[in-house]
Amino acid sequence: MQENILNQLNKVFKIKGQVKSPLRIKVVADKDIVSSILLYLKAQMGFIHLNHISCVDWIEDNKFELVYIVWHPEQKQTVLVHTFIDRENPVMENIDTIWDQANTYEREMREMFGIEFPGLVGDREFILEDWQEMPPMRRDFDTKRYAQETYETRPGRENARNVRLEIMKRSGEELPDFAKKYSRD
Amino acid sequence: MTNNPDKHIKTIGIPTEEEIRQAQIDFAPRCTSAGRVNDKETQKIVQYILNFARKHSLFVLAYGTGCGAIEIPATMTSRYDAERFGIRGAATPRQADVLLITGYLSTKTLKRVIRVYEQMQDPKYVMAFGSCTINGGMYFDSYNTIKALDRYLPVDVYIAGCMPRPESVIRGFIKLQELIQNGNAGGGKCYRDNLDWYRANQQKVIKNWNFPDEYNW
Amino acid sequence: MIEKETTLYLGPQHPGITGNMMIKLKVKGDVVTQAETHVGYLHRAFEKLIERRNWLQSFTLLCRFCVPEPDPMELTYARAVEQIEGREVPPRAKYIRTIVAELARIQSFLLWYGGQSGSSGLYTLGQWSVGDRNYILDLFEDLTGARIYHMYMWPGGVRRDLPTGWIDKTYKTMDYLEKRLEDYNKLLFENAIFQKRAQGVGIIPKDKAIEWGVVGPPLRGTGIKHDVRIDEPYEAYADLDFEVPTYEGGDVWARALVRRDEIKQSIRIIRQALDKMPSGSYYNRIPNPMKWTVPTGEAWIKTESVRGEIGFYVVSDGSSKPRRVHLKGAAYTHGVSVLEKILPGQNIADVSFILNSLGVCPPEIER
Repeated sequence: MQENILNQLNKVFKIKGQVKSPLRIKVVADKDIVSSILLYLKAQMGFIHLNHISCVDWIEDNKFELVYIVWHPEQKQTVLVHTFIDRENPVMENIDTIWDQANTYEREMREMFGIEFPGLVGDREFILEDWQEMPPMRRDFDTKRYAQETYETRPGRENARNVRLEIMKRSGEELPDFAKKYSRD
Repeated sequence: MTNNPDKHIKTIGIPTEEEIRQAQIDFAPRCTSAGRVNDKETQKIVQYILNFARKHSLFVLAYGTGCGAIEIPATMTSRYDAERFGIRGAATPRQADVLLITGYLSTKTLKRVIRVYEQMQDPKYVMAFGSCTINGGMYFDSYNTIKALDRYLPVDVYIAGCMPRPESVIRGFIKLQELIQNGNAGGGKCYRDNLDWYRANQQKVIKNWNFPDEYNW
Repeated sequence: MIEKETTLYLGPQHPGITGNMMIKLKVKGDVVTQAETHVGYLHRAFEKLIERRNWLQSFTLLCRFCVPEPDPMELTYARAVEQIEGREVPPRAKYIRTIVAELARIQSFLLWYGGQSGSSGLYTLGQWSVGDRNYILDLFEDLTGARIYHMYMWPGGVRRDLPTGWIDKTYKTMDYLEKRLEDYNKLLFENAIFQKRAQGVGIIPKDKAIEWGVVGPPLRGTGIKHDVRIDEPYEAYADLDFEVPTYEGGDVWARALVRRDEIKQSIRIIRQALDKMPSGSYYNRIPNPMKWTVPTGEAWIKTESVRGEIGFYVVSDGSSKPRRVHLKGAAYTHGVSVLEKILPGQNIADVSFILNSLGVCPPEIER
């Protein structure tokens, strides 16, 4: 059955297909034809359920990997459509005309990764509010440094190694022997 | 009794200074020896009664700001039954006494929580749940949550743990009741007096203070 | 019908809302004409933080994705790591995992009983069912040491074996709950107020349900039989005998009936699993967690949680930290696009009623 699905796709599109496991099919395609593949899967082959759209930041290769996961309710098969887009100027085709719920995923990706979807409706602010830095889910955004610069912190947590020592200093108590045994110092 | 009409009018009409003085002595409150209410002894008794009443009717605002809110239903229902301490829910901030910060606060929620806190009527108390309100907890490196709650709002009681069990929640409430009875709780006055310091801290985190148009009334 | 349209903000501080979210409603009179979900009040950046933790440390964050049901999250992530790594799980661990997942299902449904009846003004049932939920949390406490967040399932098995006497205690708790379910039935489903409130409210059309992304009890409430436990059996579900209840209608009433019957099936699964519990090891030892690396690969793993199907997309780049862990919760579609479609035409008073029946869990949406 899985070979049939791959053959049918191969006839129409130029893709690299692979059977990963008895219920998973992996397809790698160019970004220009992804929306046509998804429309074909939905309208012609019965993959009417959009499970998920995920995004992975491959900063070493200067690419974003987008993964569209669709599911067939009768054959119980899952197809994962992978595609790579440029990280410097990320633009991807909007598919919320095919599935309405794709709108939610795309708004989140626009905010978290900075990927633009031309024609996407909805507020630009979906999860964050008044965010002025770079999109936070990108790998080069340093969340720890941002948190230390922005928020007031309580002293005693600068270093994970001497938590027990700090507690001891503040409370003025000696650390009992059994606790020393489990201390990192 | 004389039939002098002038005197009759005078008595009923505008009283003389002497009559006023006499009336003040006659109708003065009899409950104290000095005839005044605002002496220290009475104030102590009145304050005691007020604190006693306050500590046994803690209305908790129903605002689940974080994941600690999952133990609130368990605390309120049959096994732990917080209502025997006079603790029960209130729907709106204007009728609530206690604001529970149940866990981490993202900056988006912090803005709403400050507004809710300022809408509450004095005396008002803040209880903070979990280690993430104390020092950030496991979110110490998160870009969207605040780390130390007492820099932004005056906190009366902290409950440690992730998440605190219903028993420790009730223990926290009993501690709050002790503080109320001794007159040590209620950060409303502290917040008003030091508003500049609190506002400065809040403005470091919250960039835009405007709410949506329909919200600003 | 009043012609003037008013904007109404339901939440974030509102007793009827499930968690911390906001629904912006446009209303005419008391009829909703347009709804828009606003989330982000609980955003903790988990997926960013997991990139900074190692594979085992991630469990502390993962179970907090959705507060009422942390166990399916752990289970799904552990299975994803096992699949990438090719790690075997001993049969005893599979059975223990199944029991814990089903116990989590029951406790979450009991909490749902409280929410669903409370949003229609029937507070007695909430006192009973949320009180009885503590008996299941006691079982968790004996097993894992914590009431809510367990961090019990690890890649390669579970953290520790069943304590002595736990199996007998579980049997007793199941007997007690089965008795109590009849009381709940009398209090909620035979109650005229609930019947009138629930029937014909918040209808999801059957022909659109799968396309809209509806999963779990709301999907089975429209008459479509879909359950990950049967479609892609995981852990011990293939060996156990159970049914998947479905009801026609697609309204709040049908969803409530589905949930009522699922508790009975969960009790049945737990009893069978306890009867068949194999002996042997309960985990395959993992390497030192600080030096543990997982080979390159990716996995898309689905689990049937309480709210419906949840999935984890996990990517490993061969290092000691996950490259990407992306959750797709059931509430991600239920709480945003499905809710925006079914709310127009309903009364304001029914909004929190429908929210409870869809099982919208905001931390699952924004993570």
